[in-house]
Amino acid sequence: MPALRELQSAFLRAMFGPDEPELLEAIAGDGLLPAARLQIYRHHVLTSLTDVLQATFPVVCRLVDERFFRYAADAYIRQYPPAAPCLFEYGAHLPAFLAAFPPCRHLEYLADVARLEWAMNTALHAEVCASLDPAELGGLAPHDVAQLTFQFDPSVTLLDSPWPIDQIWRVHQTDEEMHAPVDLNAGGVSLEIRRWEDDVGFRRLDPAMYAFRTTLATGHPLAMAAEAALAVSQEFDCVAALHELLTDGVVIGCTR
Amino acid sequence: MVHMSTNAKLGVGIGLRAPHVVQVLATRPAIGWLEVHAENYMGEGAPLAALERLRADYPVSVHGVGLSLGSAEALNNRHLSRLQRLITRLEPALVSEHLSWSIAGGIYLNHLLPLPYTEETLAIVAQHVTHTQEVLQCRLFIENPSSYLRFAHSAIPEPEFLGELVRRTGCGLLCDVNNIYVSCCNLGGDPVAYLDALPARAVGEIHLAGYAVNDADGQAILIDDHGAPVSDAVWALYGHALARFGPVPTLIEWDTNIPELAVLCAEAHTAERCMQRAEEAGYAGVA
Repeated sequence: MPALRELQSAFLRAMFGPDEPELLEAIAGDGLLPAARLQIYRHHVLTSLTDVLQATFPVVCRLVDERFFRYAADAYIRQYPPAAPCLFEYGAHLPAFLAAFPPCRHLEYLADVARLEWAMNTALHAEVCASLDPAELGGLAPHDVAQLTFQFDPSVTLLDSPWPIDQIWRVHQTDEEMHAPVDLNAGGVSLEIRRWEDDVGFRRLDPAMYAFRTTLATGHPLAMAAEAALAVSQEFDCVAALHELLTDGVVIGCTR
Repeated sequence: MVHMSTNAKLGVGIGLRAPHVVQVLATRPAIGWLEVHAENYMGEGAPLAALERLRADYPVSVHGVGLSLGSAEALNNRHLSRLQRLITRLEPALVSEHLSWSIAGGIYLNHLLPLPYTEETLAIVAQHVTHTQEVLQCRLFIENPSSYLRFAHSAIPEPEFLGELVRRTGCGLLCDVNNIYVSCCNLGGDPVAYLDALPARAVGEIHLAGYAVNDADGQAILIDDHGAPVSDAVWALYGHALARFGPVPTLIEWDTNIPELAVLCAEAHTAERCMQRAEEAGYAGVA
């Protein structure tokens, strides 16, 4: 009789691999083949984790159809089984996995749509934080303002893509067979995904604003963010961008 | 700390699932209490905020599915502390987990997997239950699993295993009547005898749900999918359970093919009528 630790290791291997004779011997048949009993558990483990991924990535699933999604999910689950019981946190590697998964590599926008859905999932479960009070920055000398760094709200993801992934996401909000066509050559997008009040959503940022906010979000000071934005567009209005940063709820803290 | 004295008045509750949250918030249906899966509320944001609003109007029960009390390896401490934080925040009327395992080698299998009922397993589960109760500072109610296999070296019948766990740890029992029926059909066994073998005073919660019937190599296997109304056979067993355990807080669970909220509430009212009938009959089985 196997010790519990060995039994559970063998059971774990059997969920993602073939039956092992020692494990089958440990299972009472009770009128059914032990392998058939084990298969009930294997089926549930794989299908329930696939359901979790489908719930987190519904648009990806619609883009490739459900059968293909479940096939890809099965391969993903075997490569990246969950490491913790909170399954709203499961699926972080799916975008990179899809980008490299040979059967869907021709759908170049798919991984970026998956990144968008993962960012929305992250925003939904992120901690609720109070926004920075702009009054905290009163009376700073210009040099100090230039050196400010900001802490972004944990719900925020900044994401760019060479594909119009926001349009793709919007027209695939239902299971309808005939979706409105998306012009894949319409150009790329830079998106800010976050929580607004109780709702999770996203909006487009123009490329200069995207450079400004991504530079700040990676911990760099305001002066460097302004330089990055001006390098994208000479028209960039740094004062207006700072005002918007401090009033639209995207930052929760700053360091002088 | 969980206050058990008030639990007798809880009556019948429903498992709160995501598709119903908005409607429950808006209509506040006449339901005794709500039970949630702990793991769905360990993030921050809208789900937890909605639950905190509901908590003002309904007693809440926290039902863990991921602690893996039956794992041979140590408990996941990060998960246990997240559970502790949730319980501190919600102050639930009941806290429960399962007699099962789902983690091996640090991998979470998202299923309540079967245990061999041996002295080794009993010692491991008792140690994990004791540790969990110490960390959470409350009595844990342990649910009997639904099973599709048993291990040939299992030496202790499941209800006796649960009784010994109660004796060693002081935990309570969550008696899932549907699971008893499903396991007895799948593995052989008399569900009434199973109920009679449980230590009645330890039972602090009852679960009811529906099952599916699948074919496995030509043999019918009952799958505990929580995707159908409670079956007639399980309602009959529930009557027996009430007679033996008294008016124990009872929960209707529905997790797949989730119906309209009204369907769940109707099932809850059926359970309430069973409780009233048992009360009129005087709970013959309660010493």
